Amino acid sequence: MSAFVFKMVWRETRAAWRHFTYFFVCIALGVAALVGVGLFAANLERAIQREARSLMAADVELRTTRLLTPAAEGVLMKLDGRDIARLQVSELVAMAAAPSGTQLVELKAVEPGYPFYGKLRAVPEDALATLFTGTRALAEETLLIRLDLKVGDTLKIGHVEFTIAGVLKKEPDRAAGAFSFGPRVLISRQGLEATGLVQPGSRVTYRHLLKLPEALSPKAVQGELAATFPDKTVRVSTYQDAQPMLRRFLRQLTMYLGLVGLIALMVGGIGVASSIRAFLREKLENIAVLKGIGAESGTILRVYMSQTLLLGMLGSLAGAALGAAFQFALPPLLKAWLPMELEFRLALLPFVRGVGMGLLTTVLFALWPLLEARDVRPNLILRREVADEPTGSPGLMAWAISGLLALTLAGLALWQAGSWRAAGLFIGALAAALALLNTAAWLVVRLARRVPRWRPLAWRQGLANLYRPGSQAQTVLVSVGVGVMIILAIHLVEQNILWEIGENVPTDAPTFFFIDLQPDQRDAFERLLVERGHTDARLTPLVRSRLWALNGQQVRRESYEDREHGWYFTREYVLTFLNDLPKGNAITRGDWWDGGGSSGLPRVSVEEEAARRLGLDLGSTVEFDIQGAKVSGRIASIRKVDWGNMSTNFYFIFEPGALEGAPMTYVATTRVDPREEVPLQRAVVAAFPNVSAINIRAVLDSVAQVVDRISLVIRFMAALSILAGTVVLAGALAATRFRRIYEAMVFKAMGATRRVLASTFAVEFLLLGAAAGVIGTGLATGLAWGVGHWILDVKWLFQPRALVWGIGVTIAGTVLVGFLSTYRILGQKPLPVLRRE
Amino acid sequence: MIAIRNLSMRLVSGGREVSILDDISLDVPAKQFLAIVGPSGSGKSTLLGLIGGMDTPTSGTISFDGRDITKLSDDELSRLRLQKIGFVFQSFHLIPTLTARENIAVPMELSGDPEVNAKADELLRAVGLESRGHHYPVQLSGGEQQRVAVARAFANRPVILLADEPTGNLDTTTGEQVIELIIRLNRDRGSTLVLVTHDPALAAHADRIVLLRDGRIASDDLRHRGSGAHP
Ligand SMILES: Nc1ncnc2c1ncn2[C@@H]1O[C@H](COP(=O)(O)OP(=O)(O)OP(=O)(O)O)[C@@H](O)[C@H]1O
Ligand SMILES: [Mg+2]
Repeated sequence: MSAFVFKMVWRETRAAWRHFTYFFVCIALGVAALVGVGLFAANLERAIQREARSLMAADVELRTTRLLTPAAEGVLMKLDGRDIARLQVSELVAMAAAPSGTQLVELKAVEPGYPFYGKLRAVPEDALATLFTGTRALAEETLLIRLDLKVGDTLKIGHVEFTIAGVLKKEPDRAAGAFSFGPRVLISRQGLEATGLVQPGSRVTYRHLLKLPEALSPKAVQGELAATFPDKTVRVSTYQDAQPMLRRFLRQLTMYLGLVGLIALMVGGIGVASSIRAFLREKLENIAVLKGIGAESGTILRVYMSQTLLLGMLGSLAGAALGAAFQFALPPLLKAWLPMELEFRLALLPFVRGVGMGLLTTVLFALWPLLEARDVRPNLILRREVADEPTGSPGLMAWAISGLLALTLAGLALWQAGSWRAAGLFIGALAAALALLNTAAWLVVRLARRVPRWRPLAWRQGLANLYRPGSQAQTVLVSVGVGVMIILAIHLVEQNILWEIGENVPTDAPTFFFIDLQPDQRDAFERLLVERGHTDARLTPLVRSRLWALNGQQVRRESYEDREHGWYFTREYVLTFLNDLPKGNAITRGDWWDGGGSSGLPRVSVEEEAARRLGLDLGSTVEFDIQGAKVSGRIASIRKVDWGNMSTNFYFIFEPGALEGAPMTYVATTRVDPREEVPLQRAVVAAFPNVSAINIRAVLDSVAQVVDRISLVIRFMAALSILAGTVVLAGALAATRFRRIYEAMVFKAMGATRRVLASTFAVEFLLLGAAAGVIGTGLATGLAWGVGHWILDVKWLFQPRALVWGIGVTIAGTVLVGFLSTYRILGQKPLPVLRRE
Repeated sequence: MIAIRNLSMRLVSGGREVSILDDISLDVPAKQFLAIVGPSGSGKSTLLGLIGGMDTPTSGTISFDGRDITKLSDDELSRLRLQKIGFVFQSFHLIPTLTARENIAVPMELSGDPEVNAKADELLRAVGLESRGHHYPVQLSGGEQQRVAVARAFANRPVILLADEPTGNLDTTTGEQVIELIIRLNRDRGSTLVLVTHDPALAAHADRIVLLRDGRIASDDLRHRGSGAHP
């Protein structure tokens, strides 16, 4: 680059350092929003995912009902070399005996280190650690009540007398449900081995929990293990699968934060782009003069490109630093707001992405006007106040370069979004919005020309400002419109997700299960509950069975033992019979029975996935073995089950009457106030000694807590993006301020007071805000719908109130920013300004 | 009418202080036609701007009929200009988005004159542009634009007309026409005229010629031409 270019860059910057600083700040704001919001979203997501891991107490789990083969052990051993920690949890049903009686319990044996994530709560606090120092056990309160025990008493399981070391209050990874066999007892693995309960053929579920180093993705390890593990009957799952409902919300959270990042990227881009445009606008005159005195286009291009790049580079670096600094400033302020352990760290990538984005946008938006100005005769530019905008053709080169840059930006967006679909939708939406907004802006400007010139000077002049040559109305309309579109879309999507979460988190989910109710106890039990004020109890019949035959073909269990998904053939099925289709179930094929008897085999409804795995279709027959007795049915419908709905779900449902006479028990579910829990249990135990209570409040609470945090984070990030977007938009709007000075001063020279000037600006900003608000709001609705429909899969909720607010706030905001950015113009002295022109 | 006392204007430019006007004292009686001449950079435009309240001096006072305008607030200055002062600039400074007629109407609209329309037409006629009223500045020649600016300057019947090299951007003939227009309107309406010019021929029309040099008054030449008023 020639010395002249350097000199010019330096001189230009020195001469107009105030402007330079102004645009520098505007650009820095854009990039700061981009980097700050992106980093913060990533940090928050990490915090939530961490919490979600506690629901499985691990990153990845391998679940099997058999001891691992040596080959399988070998695969697991190899994991140790990769910094992956693991431990084994065994679960089985066992009989616990106390002087007062016996009780089926769900026994769980753990190793030191359990749980990898989350907290096990017990009273006393440190009871878990004592398990590994002798034959001790932790038991749930329901068991203590049932067997009339207290801490310190002994409980005999198998050959071993365990001392009850404490009351188990909450296990992070408990997945209790209606199919429980009894209360939980927690012992050590050594303790379990000593009981002698684990024999060949005993039904033990082994869970191998893995804790991965940060760099490993659970999904990837899951995939790898599923592919390489020699024993195909092992089910490999990640923590996200632990609670089906959460899986959905976690996925939505990830998507949402991705979108927020994308939106920060765009808002930042708008900020940078409009600043650069306004900056170059200021330079057009100098360009014309330089041309006039004989500077070559190439030289001019290099001078202003270098200067713009310098501006973009400094602004982007400062913005990225500011965005990063934000990560440290924010957490202390947020302590009360986000009750999570936030671990903030700086990643290099978002930083690089932010600077790259800032620079690319700078180049993209600088190149075009500069190339355009290259072919324009200088006098056209010099007369820009009176002539139309320079309309030189920027040339093929510009198209090519701009296309390339736009593609790179799209690539950056893709990188940010992490999904083709999301990025595609967003880029598409942005392109469509830009086209629409440009057209709309063009229309508004044309329309403004047509509006009768009403008397009030302020009105007329404000209107005229929209279409006056060299007016930035169109630019402002587009950037504010896009800004409003994405900010409001983020809000609309947020509302949709929160609404869906609110819909799906069952506030009335049962907290208590009573199991093993005998059919003849049913009426008495219901009476007891009603007497105690629990009118919401639901009793569901349960019949434990195994598959006997499919379409008349007997199921040989041995032949499925080693097959992947073979457990569909070998597992125990809990059957039920129901009159009505339960909540959270939807028939996909066939019909539910609505009264009307059937001829022939009883009708059965089967869950979709089970039907697929078992090869069942409408009309197929199934035969179950219920403790030796055989019951057949014909498939009458196939159901889709929302496994996340937190109630009791069944693979097979028979029509009423079909299971008459089969050995069945009832499970009662009810919602119990925490203070009522112990009295109710005591009353039930006293009246029905065979019935056990399962308290799942703790499980519900931990799920609810994660869901709460997800909502909180979504809400918070929406607020943060809206705030950042507003700041950036304000910057973009304020960047047009220098253009207004001249005209304001001419008016002033003629005797216009500040009030007149201010109302002129007010009219202009009001019109701009109204147009941008209406168009942006309309586009936001479309975008939010698209995101909800194609990306997040949430139900659409039309929110007229948000739209009205969107328009109102845009107008108010535009006028306010307009006022703030022109306020100081009003007091300027005309002479120095006019002598410059 | 206009009394200037010990007026000084200093600016900090490029890190050092420059004196633009230095201790100027000058009285301009009502209806006088005063020409300010002097070499480029001598401070003519600055002095004129200060008289019009378009900037604030560093020290000294400017009084109109005994009222010191250097102490006025920004809006008071605007109202003063609106009611009493008309400006004609070398580079016209018309509002590009308004037609010629609308440009002329602006000062009257600002002051809420109910007869805007009639007066605007009359002014257009007075400057000989009755057929160009609906044209935008860009569609007018320099001379025509300046005539619109002159009409605008006279719109509110100012008592003082300030013109800063109104012919500077025009060729000789056109310049002559414009200056004649200014002088004629000035005489018809009986206002005080302060004209800044480089051109000795133009200055020759004046009642009085003040020569500025390096921000000071180098000479003050009162001429008796009978056409202007006398102190
Ligand atoms: N805002 C300003 N900043 C810096 N210097 C200024 C400013 N205004 C005026 N000057 C300086 O003050 C001096 C007088 O300027 P002014 O415009 O009054 O001169 P002038 O007599 O009208 O010249 P010309 O005949 O060329 O128009 C000049 O040297 C100019 O550089
Ligand atoms: Mg001058």
